[in-house]
Amino acid sequence: MIGNQLALIKREFWEHRSIYVTPLAIGSIVTLSVLAMLVFASGFAKELDMAIFGASNLAGEGERKAALTAFFVGTSWLFLVALAILTVFYCLDSLYGERKDKSILFWRSLPITDAETVISKLITAIVIIPVAAVIGIIATHIANLIITSIWVSVKGGDAGLLIWGSVPLFDNWMAAFIVVLASGIWMSPFIAWFLFVSAWTKRAPLLMAFMPLILIPLLEWIFLRTRFFATAVLDRGDAIPLFRTLDFESFFEEEHWRNGLDGISLLGHLDVVQFLTSPSMWGGLLVCALFVTATIYVRRYRDES
Amino acid sequence: MTSVVNARSVSKHFGAVRAVDDVSFEIEQGKILGLIGPNGAGKTTLLKAVLGLTDCDGELSVLGLDPFKQRKELLKNICFIADVAVLPRWIKVTQLLDFVESVHPNFSRKRAEGFLSQTKVRSDAKVRELSKGMVVQLHLSIIMAIDAKLLVLDEPTLGLDIIFRKEFYSNLLNDYFDEERTILITTHQVEEIENLLTDIMFINDGKILLDSPMDAIAGSYVELMTSGEDAIRARGLGPIAEHEMFGKSVLLFEGASRDQLDGLGELRTPSVADLFVAKVKGARK
Repeated sequence: MIGNQLALIKREFWEHRSIYVTPLAIGSIVTLSVLAMLVFASGFAKELDMAIFGASNLAGEGERKAALTAFFVGTSWLFLVALAILTVFYCLDSLYGERKDKSILFWRSLPITDAETVISKLITAIVIIPVAAVIGIIATHIANLIITSIWVSVKGGDAGLLIWGSVPLFDNWMAAFIVVLASGIWMSPFIAWFLFVSAWTKRAPLLMAFMPLILIPLLEWIFLRTRFFATAVLDRGDAIPLFRTLDFESFFEEEHWRNGLDGISLLGHLDVVQFLTSPSMWGGLLVCALFVTATIYVRRYRDES
Repeated sequence: MTSVVNARSVSKHFGAVRAVDDVSFEIEQGKILGLIGPNGAGKTTLLKAVLGLTDCDGELSVLGLDPFKQRKELLKNICFIADVAVLPRWIKVTQLLDFVESVHPNFSRKRAEGFLSQTKVRSDAKVRELSKGMVVQLHLSIIMAIDAKLLVLDEPTLGLDIIFRKEFYSNLLNDYFDEERTILITTHQVEEIENLLTDIMFINDGKILLDSPMDAIAGSYVELMTSGEDAIRARGLGPIAEHEMFGKSVLLFEGASRDQLDGLGELRTPSVADLFVAKVKGARK
């Protein structure tokens, strides 16, 4: 069972190379942008000397930490957005592509159950793609910190103090890991819905997946004048009960980080217990389980000839 | 003899259409059974039921298992090629071997690589880069490297040229088949496989028209080529089919003794194709 799962997940990597190509591409783009910025900044020699001097002497650790955290959060968001798009396309193709090219007949000729196959796709969407994104985030951060350190050292600054001494690496990475993984679990009803559409639709999986998400709230509003579906489904992304205070405006205000170093901790803003005890999270998992069951049923019973 | 497939009153309906209609048969170990039928006769549906890919009514047991309920267990000992184009096009040959090796307990990678080394299939190639014939060779190499008790082939050589087709069947017979194994095969090109079959089954409109060992065909069926007076007399003996060839009448008899027909014309054992046409036309009357 576990051996089969590993083989099946490995197969997903072979088939959907975007799982690792996307984080690699984003990491490269971020790194190139940072490089371009550094080259551009090098043109202002005098201002630069003053900035480094200022950063070394005047600013406190809090400011430096906050500046680096802002960079970290920014790049992590890029990965998170790409991850969301990638997951949608992955799920919609995962059980549709094999029917389109009829390779499903080959896969089903091997001693693997439909449940094992569908679950391997679910694990890929909820765990593997997010983990690949976190690895991408960490690698991008490290690469950019190294590049920036070298640049700062060359310009006469103390990279040890300015960059490495100020960077809350572990805090940031743990936070990224928790946010990415929790997002996968939180959005699992959508992931399972996309898998179901992928296994069920005869054509146009993207359209078939999103049409109900638009039509149902519209019809509900026209006929019932209520917004239950829209609130429960369309607003779900924003409603993740993971953040203590999701107030980015005050997060980056000077007052906020002068109040103490804890304010800068991203981890400090996450409330894992609140997330794990949230009825909405468990309700979502239940919906996910229902759609996954339906997906397995469709793959098993549908005649593909 | 052990029975590999045992079907009792098996039916499968799609709405009002009876794709397989109350069919009973048995396949014994060590046989090569040809399942012959026109398009839409129910062949593929029957194969799918045997492979556990679709459920059906009636009693069906394959290798002592319920194919639909115990599909995973069954597929450890049963292999099939459903159609030529089913290998995923994005996969590399080595990846394919890796995958089958890790999920199939009865797969021998060494054997598969041995078969592949006799072909032009490169191990670093992707399936989409291979010709149609090479894809079939690859698929067959994998299938033959699986130590299975039952091999099911559904139109395995569709769309291949004659060289690949001949090679396919000779590989199958020489490198794979033995008395432990059983092969169930469907094809339109009956004449190409009739020499390698041990048993034959005709199916039309979901019903079995003929289920017989190949060597019993000669005893049960005889074809008479005749003309003129003899033809009229022969018609009186109740042929099951008749057609014209080179200005002569060719009459097909079932269960008639050769002595009775001797002297009325030229006698011979009908080809499977002729017998098939006669049976299907007879059933449609």
